[in-house]
Amino acid sequence: MLRELDEELASHFAMRVDQLRALGMSEVDAMAEARRRFGDADEYHAWAERRVTRRARRLRFSDWVAEWGQDARFALRQVKGARGFTAIVVLTLALGIGANTAIFSVVHRLLLAPMPYANGGRIVMPVGGADAVFPFRDRPSAELMRAWLARTHTIEGIAGAAELMFTVQPDGSVDTITTAIITSNFLSILGERPELGRTFRPEEERTSAPTVAMISHAMWQRAYGGRRDVLGRTVEHEGRPVTIVGVTPPGLAVPLSTNATPDIWLPGPLEQAGDGNGAIGGPDLYALLRPGASVEAATAELRTVAAGLPDSVRGSGDLRVVRAQDLLDGRERRAVQVLFFAVGALLLIACANVANLLLARAWTRQREFAVRGALGASRWRLARQVLSESVLLGLSGGVLGIGVAWLALRLIVALRPPALDHLADVHINPAVLLWTLGVSLVTGVLFGCAPALLAGARAVGDVLRRETRGSSAGATSRRVRSALTVMQIAMSLVLLVGSGLLVRSFAALQDMRLGYEPRGLVYADVITGRQTRERKPDITWEILDRIRSLPGVTGAAIGTMPGKGFIGMGGLEVETDRAGHTTRVPMLGTIFITPDYFRVAKIAVLEGRLPDSTVVSPDAKAHIVISPEVMVNREFARRVWPHGGAIGARLREPRSTPGPWSTIVGIVDDTRTPEVHGEVAAIQVYSLYPARLGNVPFIVRTRTSADVSAPMVKHAIASLDPGIYVRAMTSGDTYLRNGLAPTRFAMALLTAFALLALALAAVGLYGVIAYGVTQRTREIGVRIALGAEPHSIVARVMGSGARLALAGVVIGTALALASARVLRSMLYDVSPDDPLTIVAIVAIVVIITLVASYVPARRALRIEPTEALRAD
Amino acid sequence: MRDMPRDTSDLLHGTLDLLVLKALSTTPMHGFGLSKWIEQRTRDELEIVDSALYKALHRLEDDGAIVAEWGVSENNRRARYYSITTRGRQRLRAETATWKRYVIAVSGVLETT
Repeated sequence: MLRELDEELASHFAMRVDQLRALGMSEVDAMAEARRRFGDADEYHAWAERRVTRRARRLRFSDWVAEWGQDARFALRQVKGARGFTAIVVLTLALGIGANTAIFSVVHRLLLAPMPYANGGRIVMPVGGADAVFPFRDRPSAELMRAWLARTHTIEGIAGAAELMFTVQPDGSVDTITTAIITSNFLSILGERPELGRTFRPEEERTSAPTVAMISHAMWQRAYGGRRDVLGRTVEHEGRPVTIVGVTPPGLAVPLSTNATPDIWLPGPLEQAGDGNGAIGGPDLYALLRPGASVEAATAELRTVAAGLPDSVRGSGDLRVVRAQDLLDGRERRAVQVLFFAVGALLLIACANVANLLLARAWTRQREFAVRGALGASRWRLARQVLSESVLLGLSGGVLGIGVAWLALRLIVALRPPALDHLADVHINPAVLLWTLGVSLVTGVLFGCAPALLAGARAVGDVLRRETRGSSAGATSRRVRSALTVMQIAMSLVLLVGSGLLVRSFAALQDMRLGYEPRGLVYADVITGRQTRERKPDITWEILDRIRSLPGVTGAAIGTMPGKGFIGMGGLEVETDRAGHTTRVPMLGTIFITPDYFRVAKIAVLEGRLPDSTVVSPDAKAHIVISPEVMVNREFARRVWPHGGAIGARLREPRSTPGPWSTIVGIVDDTRTPEVHGEVAAIQVYSLYPARLGNVPFIVRTRTSADVSAPMVKHAIASLDPGIYVRAMTSGDTYLRNGLAPTRFAMALLTAFALLALALAAVGLYGVIAYGVTQRTREIGVRIALGAEPHSIVARVMGSGARLALAGVVIGTALALASARVLRSMLYDVSPDDPLTIVAIVAIVVIITLVASYVPARRALRIEPTEALRAD
Repeated sequence: MRDMPRDTSDLLHGTLDLLVLKALSTTPMHGFGLSKWIEQRTRDELEIVDSALYKALHRLEDDGAIVAEWGVSENNRRARYYSITTRGRQRLRAETATWKRYVIAVSGVLETT
């Protein structure tokens, strides 16, 4: 009610002032005369308030709430009255809030709830250390773990888990399924219970092949409709039936695993979960800290235990116990943190834009506010009105932003790298919605603050007196807007530099020398059941012959895709010289091959010769054994023998009873995968295939495309024997694409955010400059009337834009240099302060900002002097 | 009279309502337009302070003689437009008659003196 009166009087004042000015009065005089003619404003206002109170007495159940409602209605009317303005503001906010919501969903999934187990905070992992030559984390041996368990006062137990990935299902369908092999105490260490049935018994770990299984809650629902009679049914694992004894709780995953949540859980001992086949990295070890015990105490205890054991059991380097949650994959964590920072910056830029727009409007609405102030509206009331508007805008942006986030999440899920496969189940949950609501409110208050303060705190008489054109009345507002613009340009530059570095890394990764030829290569991981092997001891060679005889196949060999070796758990002991000095190589990829592997993969043999397959290992009974003659890659040779001498040196597996020595007979070229951090894969040992493993990896070189040859290879293998099937298949191209995926993921998202940021910053700059031109219409008109050259007008207008851009670029470059370091672990072959990237990005930003200020400059030229002088 | 706004408003207390109704009987107007209309018709002899005018408008509105709604002015400003109701027209007729009788009465008294 009072609001209506205020508005009515504001309109009355404006018309009265117009009338008086048309009669030739100056603005100041006109305002003074208008106020005189109004009479006693205080008296009028008091009267009006009494009238409203009189009229609304019955309605006065809660003035405060009613007034807020009024504010909201008024805000709504204001917002509706300026549709274009509102659309721009809401859209800008929706982009900012939407990007934030999407990335927050990811953050929530990956970083905030990484250890969702009852015992989450007490789960620790014993890790071996890194040394100067081989800076990798190692896993302590199971023997050491048992010794520790026998004497511990700090931990309650140790569980192990390893994951196997299957891409080809027993029924022939191609879909990735994760199978986890766990010790019988795995669930109890995590503090979880089966949803149905039971967990494994200790004796079930020890059977030669698993006979019982648990299935995931998801698989129970999907494949068995959640029926309780699922217990006692069988599922197939590697061609053998296993009995379902339990269902794991919903969403149960192996701690810190980045694989999809396992559907099938099988029992296995701590030493090895499965025969190590394909379980790259072997089982992870999880210990449960006793309540009250510290990781430091556990570390000290573990070291004391290890000190009393032989070298081969103790392992290399520096043993430590760390909290599992501190071991999250630093790289993906870093990528998500960088993206979270990026969307934060994006939201700030969006806020700055909206604040800029609101400030511009607040300035044009200043007279309205001033009059209302003069007529008795309190400052708080005016400020509150502005804030109501901005919060309403923020909330609208948030609602639309949820839609934006939903779309962005679909994109993120589609782009997710295999290493972040568990992102598939990311979604906008209540926690995320709460975050969005919070962000929307904070955003509304944030960008509404400056205009609200301006509206409320300005001394009213001041405005009325000083509202003459070209005065310094708008100086504060202009300064605030300029500062916001500089901030926007600086922040978008930081984001652009980050995305530029990732783009360059991606290009470098695509161009990297792989050391082998992935095109035309097909990889098949084949499972041969134990009974099949007993029945047909030569089955491996039969498969190889069958593949070689296929049309279009030019070669086939045993061996994994380059870079995808079996990571030995205990590492290797290596002779560094002929005097018998040795060093430990904690983790490296061992690739089991047939001698023609290098020819099929097209890997160059640099020195020495291929291993001789007629030299037989004396320890042939062991499951996994390194052949008497091996080859290493160049990187291995360079690290251990920087001055040469690799050929002829010996290495062996450091077991409690050390295995036999193997001799290095040749050096082959390095092979790389485009995974930036495939450092483990950089150290390779090639050993002859021991022919006793449960799975056989094949690589096949074909003349036809993988689409044609892969099904052919699969069929040829499966038709040999019912006990044989293909577990996983991939083509060289897919393999490469997957390797590039993490970088592409980070690059695509960061680039999208950075470009969005730049666009918003450009719009912000354009707004500030264009508004400056509007405000200075008369000044520019006078200049044109006085015969100023067009280019001097353009130069003047663009000069003000260029000053802001320059400040933004300088600050942005400094910030980019300071912050690019956080990107280091995500970069390949480009340094975080790469001058080329920075110069290119600065150039792009400068060009965009010049364009953004050129457009209003052109408009300034079209100002008609006569109109400008008359203009309001 | 010019610089004595309060006196003017006191004097015109009843007559202002009448002027407003008369003005609005021709066409709906906003407050400022009404002020201009009265200024023109009275050739600036009566300067009515704006606050008095708005009080009159609100009084009449509360009485139901006029109603208001928001519109856009000739200069594209939002303005509150008042229009007369049937009740307002009845009141205008009744009060115009009263006023005429009053004027005649007062004039008669003044002239005979």
